[in-house]
Amino acid sequence: MPVKATAAQVDRRVVLDLDRCIECKSCMAACFYGHGEMAGVQFVDIGPAVLPVVCRQCGDPACVEVCPAEAMTRDDRGVVARGLFSCHGCGSCVRACPFGVLSLEMTGHQVTKCDLCDDRLERGLEPRCVAVCPTKALRFATVDEVEVQGLTVLGGRIAGDHPIRRR
Amino acid sequence: MSSPEGSTTAETTAARCLLCSVGCPVRALRVGPDQYVPDYVPHAGYVGLCGRGSVLVEWLDHPDRLRQARRSGDGGRTLAVKDAARRMAEALRVAGSAVIVADGNLDVDTLAAVGRFARDVGARWTACVTPGDAGLVHGLDGSRAKLVGPEALAEADAMLLVGDVFAAQPVASHWIYAARDAHPRIPRLVIAGANTATAKFATAQFEPVLVDGAAAAALAAVRTGSAEGLPAEARGLAGWKEQLAAGQHPAIVVTAEGGYGEARALAEAVAALAAETGAMVCPLTAYGNAWGAMRVAAAEGGACPAEILKPGADVVLAIGCDLVSAYGAAVAGPLLDGAGDVIYVGPMPNRTSDRASLVIPAAFAFEAPGRALLGPDRLVEFGPLMQPPAGVPTVTEILALAGAPTGAPAGAIAGASTDVSAPCRAPEMPPSAAGRAGDGKGLVVALASDPVHFGDGSLTSRAAWPRAVRPRPVLALAESDAEAAGLTDGHVAVVEGPGGSAEVEVAIRPDQRAGQGWVTGAFAGVRDAFGWSWDGARPGEPVRMEVRKA
Ligand code: SF4
Ligand code: SF4
Ligand code: SF4
Repeated sequence: MPVKATAAQVDRRVVLDLDRCIECKSCMAACFYGHGEMAGVQFVDIGPAVLPVVCRQCGDPACVEVCPAEAMTRDDRGVVARGLFSCHGCGSCVRACPFGVLSLEMTGHQVTKCDLCDDRLERGLEPRCVAVCPTKALRFATVDEVEVQGLTVLGGRIAGDHPIRRR
Repeated sequence: MSSPEGSTTAETTAARCLLCSVGCPVRALRVGPDQYVPDYVPHAGYVGLCGRGSVLVEWLDHPDRLRQARRSGDGGRTLAVKDAARRMAEALRVAGSAVIVADGNLDVDTLAAVGRFARDVGARWTACVTPGDAGLVHGLDGSRAKLVGPEALAEADAMLLVGDVFAAQPVASHWIYAARDAHPRIPRLVIAGANTATAKFATAQFEPVLVDGAAAAALAAVRTGSAEGLPAEARGLAGWKEQLAAGQHPAIVVTAEGGYGEARALAEAVAALAAETGAMVCPLTAYGNAWGAMRVAAAEGGACPAEILKPGADVVLAIGCDLVSAYGAAVAGPLLDGAGDVIYVGPMPNRTSDRASLVIPAAFAFEAPGRALLGPDRLVEFGPLMQPPAGVPTVTEILALAGAPTGAPAGAIAGASTDVSAPCRAPEMPPSAAGRAGDGKGLVVALASDPVHFGDGSLTSRAAWPRAVRPRPVLALAESDAEAAGLTDGHVAVVEGPGGSAEVEVAIRPDQRAGQGWVTGAFAGVRDAFGWSWDGARPGEPVRMEVRKA
C-alpha cells in the first residue's frame, strides 16, 4: 500500500556512467513506450554532453512532500511514483525536485515520473532504460556496487569519473 | 503507470530491426486487443535497442496504416487487393516505359521476386537504400578487405571510426565499448564532425571539410602520412596509421553519410588503408539490408537509380519507399508528374502514396518471416514481429496476385565478396565529383545522422516518440556562423537552399568547423531544400544554404 515518505529507501537506483553515454536516447524511448508514451527519463544539455537524468528515488523526497493531491507517493519498497489519475498537473513537484528530473507533460497535463519499472522488477528484470542501454552507461545498482567499480557517485544519481573524462 | 504484463509475440521470436545493419532482435508485448509495446528482455543476442528499434512496435497497430486498396478519382474508391494487383500488373505491361523502385529493406527473397516481376512485365527496376549505403557497398564489396560484423569489434585493440557511428548505428557501441573495457587505452581515432557523439569518445579526431572526396582524402592522408591539400589540422593524421597497425586486431568502422560518389570513394580509401594496416573493416549501413539489396539488384537485373528516376516513365511503381522524401522533390517530382500512372504498394502512407493513382496496402517486411543480408556474409533469417493486420498481404503475396512468375529464392547472395557495383557504372554516377558545394554564399550543409529518426523520416515522422523528442530538424553550426546570422542556441532559423527553404532549430557547437553545418535529414522540408538533382548536387550530397532568423 503506498505511504507518504516513511518507507525505507530503495537500495538500487538507476545510475549513469558519464564516461559511457553516447547520447542515443534509447533509454528515453524505452521509458516512453513502456509508460503510456510519457518518458520519465529526461535529457539535459551540460555543454560537453547531453545526458539523461533519472529520478534518484530520494529517501526524503521533496516531490512527495509538496504534492497537494497526494498523487506522488513512496511505496513500502521505497519506490517514489506518481499516481497517474490523481495527478492534477499542477507542477509543484517539478519545481520542488532538487535534481530537476521531472517535467510536465503538456498534452496530458500530468507529470512524467520514473517508477523504476515496477512491473519489470516483479518479473526479475531491470528497468527498461537500463535494459536497452547499449553501452551499459545506465546501471541498476546500489551505491556500493557503483563505487566498487571505481566510479564516483554524483548527487547519488549520476556516476562517473569526475571531471568528465572522455578523451 | 507501467504497461501491464501481457503475452509476448513468441518466446522464441527472432524478429529483427532492420533500421540499420546492426540488426537488433526485437520483441513486442501485447498490452491491449490491438496494442503493442516493445518488450526489452534479453534474448537471442539482444544487447540493447535504440529508439528507432522501439518505434518498430508502434507501427504494428499504427492508426495511419494502409488497410484497403484504393484508387484515386471516383472519390477514392476502394477495391479488392486482388483486383488492385491485377490492375497494377496490367498498367505495367501496357506501359511503353515502366519503372519499379523497391525499398531496400524488403527481405532478399521478396527483392528477388520484384526483379523477376520487373522482367516479366518489361519494367526496369532498382532497390532504394540511402545513396551513402549504395556507395559504401559498391566500394567495399569487390575489395579484398576483411569485412566483419559489429560483434567482431569486441576483439579490437585499435580502432578508426569513420562517420558518426554512434548516432547512425547506436547499438554498435556495445561492442566498441567491450573493446574499450578490454583495452582501456585503445586508440579511438575518429574522422567525423567534432560535435558528434562519436567524436566525444575519440583519443584523436579530425573533422573533414564538407566537400566531395574530403573524407576519402583524410583517409588517404592517414595511409600516406601526407596531408597536402588538406586543412592545417590534418597534419595530425600522420601517425594514425602506425597507431592502427600497432594493434594485434586493428579495426576500421565505417558508416557512410552523404552522397553516393563520396561514400564509394570513402569505401575504396578504407579498403586501401585496411590492406596496409591489416585492419578488419566493419561497414555499417543505414539500411539493415543494404548489402542484400545491392547484391540482389546486381543479380536480378536492377539498374542504377540515376537511370530509373529520370523523367520519362509512363508508369511508376514504388514498393514500400517514399521516392519524394528519399531522393528529394526535385528528383522525384518530375518523374511522378510525368507518369500517367503512379502506383504505391506499402504499409504506410507517404508523399509518394499521396500522389499515387492506385494504392495497395502491404505488410511491413518484419511482419513475415524472411532473410536479410546485414553485411557481406551476415545473412540472418528472421521471424515475424507480429502478423500483419487482417486483409493486408505481404509484398510477395501481392506480386503473386499480380501474376508474377514464381522462382527460386535469391541465390547465393551471402559469402565471398563479389563486385555488385555493375548497376551503378552508369556515367551519371561517377565515383566522385569534386566540390559541388564549392565556393559561394552561405554555409555548406550536410545531412546529420540521427539516432531518433530513420532515413528520410517518412516512417518515423508518424511515430509518437520521434515526434515528441525531435519534432523539428536541428541545425548544428559553429558559434561564429551563428553570431554572423544573429542566431543563438535554440533559436528557430530558416535555411534556404537550391530547392527552397525550411525551418530548423539552431544548436551551437563550439568545436565545430566554421563555414559548415549539419542538419537532421529526416524532415521533408529540409530534404526538399537541398534541391538534389542529377546535374547538380546529387541525392544525399551537401549543398550551400543561407541561414537566417525565422
Ligand atoms: S541509452 Fe545509454 S548510451 Fe543511450 S542515451 Fe541512454 S544512457 Fe546514454
Ligand atoms: S522526483 Fe526528484 S525529489 Fe522526487 S524522488 Fe525523484 S529525484 Fe527525489
Ligand atoms: S541499432 Fe540499428 S538495428 Fe538496432 S535497434 Fe537501432 S536502428 Fe535497429
